[in-house]
Amino acid sequence: MRRRFGSILILAALALTLGTVPALAHKMKVFATAEGTTISGYAYFNGGNRAAGVRVAVADPAGTPVFSGTTDEGGAFRFEATRRTDHVISVAGDDGHAATFVVTAAELPERLPGAEAGSAALPASPPPVGSLSRPAAVDPDDLRAMIEQGVARQIRPLREQIESYQDKIWWHDVLGGIGYIVGLGGLAYGLTQRRTGVAR
Amino acid sequence: MAHIPDGVLSGPVLAVGAAVTLAGCAYALKRLEPERIPQVSILSAVFFVASLVHVPVGPSSVHLILNGLTGVALGWAAFPAILVALLLQAVLFGFGGVVVLGVNVMTMAVPAVLCGLLFETVRRRWGHHPRIPALAAGVCGALGVLLTALAVALSLAFSGAEFRPAATLIVVSHLPVMIVEAVFTAAAIGLVLRVKPGILDRSDGLVAAGAVK
Repeated sequence: MRRRFGSILILAALALTLGTVPALAHKMKVFATAEGTTISGYAYFNGGNRAAGVRVAVADPAGTPVFSGTTDEGGAFRFEATRRTDHVISVAGDDGHAATFVVTAAELPERLPGAEAGSAALPASPPPVGSLSRPAAVDPDDLRAMIEQGVARQIRPLREQIESYQDKIWWHDVLGGIGYIVGLGGLAYGLTQRRTGVAR
Repeated sequence: MAHIPDGVLSGPVLAVGAAVTLAGCAYALKRLEPERIPQVSILSAVFFVASLVHVPVGPSSVHLILNGLTGVALGWAAFPAILVALLLQAVLFGFGGVVVLGVNVMTMAVPAVLCGLLFETVRRRWGHHPRIPALAAGVCGALGVLLTALAVALSLAFSGAEFRPAATLIVVSHLPVMIVEAVFTAAAIGLVLRVKPGILDRSDGLVAAGAVK
């Protein structure tokens, strides 16, 4: 009967879980990418619900604040990067949710001035060639910016796919966790049985 | 938001949480009868799964906690049950940090034990009434969430956040959870009371702690 009590509870909990997919999980996450000098992104909960009205604070690796604001109704935010450095984006709700995401310097166009202090984060990028000599056809700076924007746009769905893929592993983790608990219970039970057995 | 992530709370709060959790678990394990271990691990699994059930509320989303049910069904043994479930949630899903595990267990297990105490007191007095114990279980279901919300707000307050806005936000966003858990706990415990009330009898009960041992 005890087993029945337990299985009723587990079935009920599982039914509730199934009923609320795809609102799967509860961790807040933030995702951002750079397109040109604009860094845009959004805060969301595992499972896809966007987090509206949460604080967004952006700092460089040294901790100097670069931008602060809140997300809109769709959980989105955007700001202009002025320096080519890592941007550490942290979002925090009033209820203790928090998440961070780093837009690396490599994602930003090379024409931005680099970080004076935290330049260690900069990749070994070639010095901006051709910024002085200007061929008639296309300004290399513009060309570079266009390429970077295009690549960023094409990579974005891929990155979103990776983020959503993480949520798919969820079910494996649920089953694994239940397995752990059952195993621990069995282990504890076995140990107590052995103890009483020795005492007897 | 019952699962506090790492890096939000201050050192003293973490220390208090760890100490309370350690003491609670040690006490609970000492009194735990081997025959009840399967029940504890089942409730632990239920608790583990319950936090993955999400209810979108406004801009945020909240999940079931079921610590009231855990407390009513397990009493003191809610401590190890919740510890194991929260540890797995932290490791597998990143719900709550590992360093703040002590605080998270404290904010959920202390209300659970209090609910267990309340339920047992009610059951001792009105145990033969057909409705009152199940109703009390429902109240415990809501109370567990409410106390947890307040405990989380307090933990945040002691770490520098403003208590009132945090508490208001957390409590208000958990109102639907309280209602759902009240109904769920009342139904589950009501069923158990009808078919096999003996499960809820504990010789390591909270009220009879001194009398039995």
